[in-house]
Amino acid sequence: MTDTNTQIKETVTDNEVVLFMKGTKSMPQCGFSSRVAGVLNFMGVEFADVNVLADEALRQGIKDYSDWPTVPQLYVKGEFVGGCDIVTEMTLSGELDALFAKEGITFNKEAAEKIREANA
Amino acid sequence: MTVQDEIYQKLSSAFSPESLNVVDESEDHRGHAGYQEGGQSHFRVAIVVPEFAEMSRIARHRAVHVAIGPEIIGRIHALTLDINS
Repeated sequence: MTDTNTQIKETVTDNEVVLFMKGTKSMPQCGFSSRVAGVLNFMGVEFADVNVLADEALRQGIKDYSDWPTVPQLYVKGEFVGGCDIVTEMTLSGELDALFAKEGITFNKEAAEKIREANA
Repeated sequence: MTVQDEIYQKLSSAFSPESLNVVDESEDHRGHAGYQEGGQSHFRVAIVVPEFAEMSRIARHRAVHVAIGPEIIGRIHALTLDINS
């Protein structure tokens, strides 16, 4: 395993919810990263944000790690969940709530309902 | 051939989609990160493939990524996928 791979593995193991993104959760630098960080923030989910733009090895490394060609990438309990499209679909279908509930991740159900109402 | 046509061709030959729509949305992203003069940077694909019915979301997306190919994916900035079975 490369150092980058080890680093990613540790990050997704040490943190229950991790978002690899362009920019940070307080200052996203891409609309797709911004959308996923926004959903998590709105749902009150505590998550670690990793800015891939700050590290060229990581920017490529995260794509190799998950065999997924795009950023953002969301991980819950070490498992890759998906990128912006999948997280959006799962938010609207309620699957994301179900995943958080199953994994014991604290989130605000009412906020999730509000997102669904606003997008109904 | 435009990138839009290339993506359309790759997907229609890899699967037999019931419906397929590829939109170049680059102009909507003018001024944003990844925009390049002349467009061809941001794409939205809507595809319906009956064979995807039994596949997970991640597996469907992976299949579409593979069909489009790393060369095109490496060239463009953003790809929004709306995949149904």
